[in-house]
Amino acid sequence: MKNGLLALSAFLLASTAAYAADPGVSDTEIKIGDVNIMTGPASFIGRAVSVGSKIAAAEINEAGGVNGRKITIITEDDGYVPARSFQALTKLIEVDEIFALNGTSGTANVLAMMPLIEENNLPTVVTTAPNELVYNPVRPSVFTVGASYSDAFYAQLKYIHENSEPANAVYGLIRQDDDFGGAVEAGYDRAVKEFGVKDGLRIRFKKGTANFAAEVAQMKQAGVNVLANGGIIAGAANILGEARKLSMDLQVASVWSEDMPPSVNLSAPAGYDYLVADYVALSGPAIDAFLEKAKKYASDEEVGAINRYTYVTYVGLKALAEAMGQCGQELTRACTVEKLRGLKDFDTQGISAPLSFDNPEQLSGKAVAVYQLNAAEKTFKALTDFADY
Amino acid sequence: MDFLLLLLASGLVSGAAYGLIAMGFALIFKSTGVVNFAQGELVMLTAYISFTLYSTFDLSFFPLMLVTIPISMAIGLALERLFIRPMLGEPIFAIVMVTVGLAVVLRGITIMIWGPDPFNFNAGIPTEVVELGGVPFYPAQLYLIGALAVLTAAGWAFLRFSRMGIAMRAVAANETAALLVGISVSRIHAIAWMLSAAIASIAGVLFAANFKLAPDLWFQGLRSFPAVILGGMDSVIGSAVAGLVIGVIENLFQGYVGQGLREISGFIVIVIVLMVRPFGLFGSRDIERV
Repeated sequence: MKNGLLALSAFLLASTAAYAADPGVSDTEIKIGDVNIMTGPASFIGRAVSVGSKIAAAEINEAGGVNGRKITIITEDDGYVPARSFQALTKLIEVDEIFALNGTSGTANVLAMMPLIEENNLPTVVTTAPNELVYNPVRPSVFTVGASYSDAFYAQLKYIHENSEPANAVYGLIRQDDDFGGAVEAGYDRAVKEFGVKDGLRIRFKKGTANFAAEVAQMKQAGVNVLANGGIIAGAANILGEARKLSMDLQVASVWSEDMPPSVNLSAPAGYDYLVADYVALSGPAIDAFLEKAKKYASDEEVGAINRYTYVTYVGLKALAEAMGQCGQELTRACTVEKLRGLKDFDTQGISAPLSFDNPEQLSGKAVAVYQLNAAEKTFKALTDFADY
Repeated sequence: MDFLLLLLASGLVSGAAYGLIAMGFALIFKSTGVVNFAQGELVMLTAYISFTLYSTFDLSFFPLMLVTIPISMAIGLALERLFIRPMLGEPIFAIVMVTVGLAVVLRGITIMIWGPDPFNFNAGIPTEVVELGGVPFYPAQLYLIGALAVLTAAGWAFLRFSRMGIAMRAVAANETAALLVGISVSRIHAIAWMLSAAIASIAGVLFAANFKLAPDLWFQGLRSFPAVILGGMDSVIGSAVAGLVIGVIENLFQGYVGQGLREISGFIVIVIVLMVRPFGLFGSRDIERV
């Protein structure tokens, strides 16, 4: 009897030790946190991210969960404010006791949360802020999915240079005067130097600028006919609108935010079949299959909110689930981090290039594909496969 | 097409937007002494309301404005009655802080109702490019310049010749004296808010027709503030003219000097002008009689 009690005590200690060390896991559930932009002007990103997590979790749970444990997503709103991101993650860790983190808001927001992530060795997949500041220096538990703006612009300009460059090509750049704009310019700079083309004009503008009439007039004056458009959403649309007014014949490279439906709706009336480069698919069988899946797991309103951010977050949670699954029943944060670090050629069913975190930066999804908008139909067609640049 | 002409034309367009928004600021300040920090939000809210009317009833521009303006005036009146009137007699600073709070509330309400997505909103104005003197314009740009011209002329005539306008000037000059001669100061305050909201709606609709409708439209209120300072806080007409001045200067700086000078060029002019005329180009000089 005494021996039996000792054995039972030892078994209970052994079976609960891991869970005591790593919150967020029970026999039936794994809690995954999501710090997200659910309010404010950028909340269309947050809504899309949230839908991606929801669809991935529903699909995984329907297939039996992660070794029998169902995934529960707990979302906290940060309104795109870094200080609130820190508060949100504090709440997720201390009150909700999450096991890992999938949604991480913007670059400044991830950086604000980084001390908490490191302190708790929180397995974290960053899918919406593939900024070098996030993966350099590398944090042991942080894994980043996504390409750089620099590569995305280089890829588009390379495509234009090799396939559709106008005679007497003059390249021009318009970009924000911040880190994001700097990354755009780095890709542009690499392209014009490597291709030996005429660099007509580079213009910077402040975030929030609405009127680009003077900037576009400068482009026209400089004879620009290949434009690297670093504006986003309404800004990008206003640049194209001014170009249309001045009857400019342009080949246009754009930021990947311009493949989202709200951006397309704003820019398409200008009539330019612009290019984008993205690290997720925008069309084709993978997206058709994803949208079918979405209709099964999400409401009509949520399906309407789907954009590229949905795809990247879906892929991120699937990769996280794969790593957790490889840990078996003894699921710990340390094991999950180790398995994520070993992840190689994880198949995303064509939504992105296969994911591999087995590199010093723990960075994957750097490959981009180039797409072209059909402005009349508001659809994209792939011009290239995913490739590293 | 001449580069200078292009810059001047587009400067007039952005300046007209600044001027219209600035007029709304100046009208309330002139009548009540309050800087309404919710003016930009009023511009945004009325533009969104107009967008809903347009989407629902598919109206062309003038019928759309005939419906939008009265609704906007009602909103202006409601804001004055609910939030400003109860503050009468309180320090100006407290009233200004109420407008700051109101701004945040209006921003939140707008996103709650219409969501964060930006919209194309042509307000029933054609979108084909037209040329005037060899310079291309979108019709919405000409409507913007035209609206500023009409409202400036109407504003001048209203303040100069109408009983209400003269009463408004009297209140602005000396509120106590105006009260003593039988002018209803509270009524003048309410009318100022209504007219300011009407101007805000015209500014908002035409700004959105030119530069898209998005939840950051409120920020144009702050961007137009230099025009109010330059024209004179209490000069409705001066604010309109100053808007044009700043719009043109910004575009010329961007076109000929470039690289981010657009934003600071307007402020450079303001600093210089205020050093010479602290009350703005058209503002009233404060005179203290001993």
